Amino acid sequence: MSGGTVALLSAQHVTKRFFGALALDAASFELRRGEIHALIGENGAGKSTFIKILAGVYEADGGEILLDGKPVDPAQQALPLAFVHQDLALVDDLSIGENIALVAGYPRRNGLIDWPAVMRQAEDLYAAMDLDPPDPERLVLTLSIAEKALLGIVRGLAGKPRALVLDEPTAALPEADAQRLFDAIRRLRDAGTSIIYVSHRLNELFGLADRVTVFRDGRHVHTTGIRGTRVEQLVEQMLGRAFESVEVVRASAARASPVLRVEDLFVERRGPLSFDASPGEVLGLVGLRGGGQEAAGRAIFGALAVDAGRIVVDGRELPRTDGIRERIRAGIVLLAGDRMRESTFPGMTLAENLFPNPLLASRSLWRAQRPASERATAHARLERFDVRPRNPASLIDWLSGGNQQKVCLARWLEARARVVILEEPTAGVDIGAKLSIHRMLREAAADGAAVIVVSSDLEEVAAVCDRALVIDRGRVASEVAGAALTMDALVARSSLGERRPANGAAVHDTAAPASDQSLG
Amino acid sequence: MNGTSENGVGPSGAPQPTHGAAARKPPPPSVAKRVSDLLANYGLAFVFVLVLIVFAALRPATFLSSGNIGNLLTSQSVTALLAFAVMLPLATGRFDLSVGYHVGMAQVLVIGLQVNDSLSWPLAAALVIGLGLVVGLVNGVLVTRFRIDSFIATMGMGSLLYGVSNWYTGGQQIAGFDLPDGFSNLSQIVGYVPLPAVYVAVVAIVLWIALERLPVGRSLYVIGSNARAAELSGLRTGRYVTGAFAASGLLCGIAGVLLGSILRSGTPSVGAEYLLPAFAGSLLGATSIRPGRVNVGGTVLAILILAFSFSGVQQLGAPFYVEYFFNGGILIVAVALSVYAAIRRRKAAVSAAS
Repeated sequence: MSGGTVALLSAQHVTKRFFGALALDAASFELRRGEIHALIGENGAGKSTFIKILAGVYEADGGEILLDGKPVDPAQQALPLAFVHQDLALVDDLSIGENIALVAGYPRRNGLIDWPAVMRQAEDLYAAMDLDPPDPERLVLTLSIAEKALLGIVRGLAGKPRALVLDEPTAALPEADAQRLFDAIRRLRDAGTSIIYVSHRLNELFGLADRVTVFRDGRHVHTTGIRGTRVEQLVEQMLGRAFESVEVVRASAARASPVLRVEDLFVERRGPLSFDASPGEVLGLVGLRGGGQEAAGRAIFGALAVDAGRIVVDGRELPRTDGIRERIRAGIVLLAGDRMRESTFPGMTLAENLFPNPLLASRSLWRAQRPASERATAHARLERFDVRPRNPASLIDWLSGGNQQKVCLARWLEARARVVILEEPTAGVDIGAKLSIHRMLREAAADGAAVIVVSSDLEEVAAVCDRALVIDRGRVASEVAGAALTMDALVARSSLGERRPANGAAVHDTAAPASDQSLG
Repeated sequence: MNGTSENGVGPSGAPQPTHGAAARKPPPPSVAKRVSDLLANYGLAFVFVLVLIVFAALRPATFLSSGNIGNLLTSQSVTALLAFAVMLPLATGRFDLSVGYHVGMAQVLVIGLQVNDSLSWPLAAALVIGLGLVVGLVNGVLVTRFRIDSFIATMGMGSLLYGVSNWYTGGQQIAGFDLPDGFSNLSQIVGYVPLPAVYVAVVAIVLWIALERLPVGRSLYVIGSNARAAELSGLRTGRYVTGAFAASGLLCGIAGVLLGSILRSGTPSVGAEYLLPAFAGSLLGATSIRPGRVNVGGTVLAILILAFSFSGVQQLGAPFYVEYFFNGGILIVAVALSVYAAIRRRKAAVSAAS
């Protein structure tokens, strides 16, 4: 390679408008050979638009894109890039080999598909990345989230791209799996592939990325080497203002008497789990994939069958046969982690998304509701939760991820429940929204609810929770509270938890069996 | 305890304490936005007026005559009831393909029970309507309890009902020579007002209140939008879906009684031809009033447009088979329009978000 100084890919003053609104305002970006280049920015900063222009999905309105110093038009001819999006677009019902063949092509013999070659092709691609190939005949739906993320990347490499664009690849990954992924990404870089890495998790960029570029309001703000940069600087550049860290007023050490008690709970054949939660506290439930923390939250909410054990709210034991509806009436609510599939009602208005089930307010099935009063209440809630736009009649589909999440949060926090369980409350939202969501959690606790945060974002748990339980195989492996509750402590304790030998035998770092996987 | 009961997740019918800032009114939208909303929401109403004006101008003597309008409203009343019947399961995202054969069976039975079994007409009508409710319930149970895709379950049910019609009649028409006046009068025109149109209006008002003003309507639409999220909001989705199918069956029974009264004979081959116009009406209706979802007002307008424009074309001398082109074309255009509207909305959402 002769032109060592010419960047692999260079975008200069790229501009894109949507109906007059500037999504990209003369933004520039440069990708060198063999580097991992992080691209960060709040939602709406123009990252996705930029990536979609590189992918040829959108056509730029202005600016220039150079490949090896020569101008190219991605809308006309595809660049030698591979794109791995957050939703990996894998087909669950097909095998690993077939999923790869969908992109790489089916090897054929005499015009017919050569199945052994299809499977060999998959193994070869894994091997090329120094990864142990899984059985290529395995169906994708049996893979863990981490294995799926790896498959997404391996599949992207099938076309022998010169650069890989990873869009939030770790969004759904527990810490340990993310580390495995990082190892793979570093090996790729060392083998000469350039990587554009889009992420909201700033901490993980250190030790992974070589350089970082910040976008804000469609403009390029800053590009710098990651060494010598502090995370606070990046946040300030993203926000365009000084960084106010969330001042967590942690509840006093003496907790109020518990509102929720869980005793010897067995869910999905794992347990026993025992803990309690008090009004006024924010309790974190963390753990590695398959640890059982999500299953526990859902079982308490009545969305998952309980094998054994007691759930007591306000001194009253709840019947094990309770469904979701009964549990909501008993004062327990849950915000599901998968926003698109389990929380939002697409095609419906914000008011309807705030009040999807009017019966929860004990209203009769046959009592009429006045749209005007519902609109007024909805508007007050949108204002209180700082949702933009603030129009109860606009469709939820129009909102950014962070604002959609605020609507879902408002739905459940305003239920004035005794126990509020929140799964991944800030997954995929920008840092501004994240900070205000954290503030809302604290307020809900201050109003007297026991708030339980089930999150794989340990940074978040450390920042917002008073107390955290590390769950492993359905049991409380350890508890950290107060000043000891730091991200490092959580990372350390979760990984310690998983390696604890069961029955004296060494536990290998193998993928959990399908039944052990946490809920999507 | 400050439980969920008094200040819950629901919209406030009664005044409800709000937190912090007092509820301020949303800002009024701009004039341009209002005009474009008006066009988007009431497009079908404008089309309907246009249809009336054009054909009234082309055939001034006959098109808007009370006789023509009365006949149209009478003949379309069955289609309108069936459009409502498919609308309810559609609101939850399910198809009821059995309505055509169902109305056929109901029509055969309501005549047959009077002619063959000498039942009084109110009893025959009640039995047929009750049977309709049962058929709808079975559809609902097949879809929710047995988790059969609604398309398949109701298609199978439709064929079963067609089988019943032919078994009951031996494939022969049941002539209704001595039907009581009370039964025939169900579909008469009183003064200028055809009674079938009155039934449709009553059903429309009831359904409008249920869908737009009662919690049950919110639940049906919410289930149609995202069934899993609806379940996680504490809705027992199976019951609502079953209820929607049961109501659909009930409406088919009512439509069958009405059809029997209009035809005054029981014909086993009648029925299937109603399925397509019913879906065309319901889906075309989903492009207006509440764009993006099936709704009562839109459905009524869509049926009126279909009926009046077809009648107008007929009066201009078009042959009978034009009706089939009409219904098929409208169905495709209606769905294409709603798909286009959805794409446009999604594009706007993308640009707003990125």
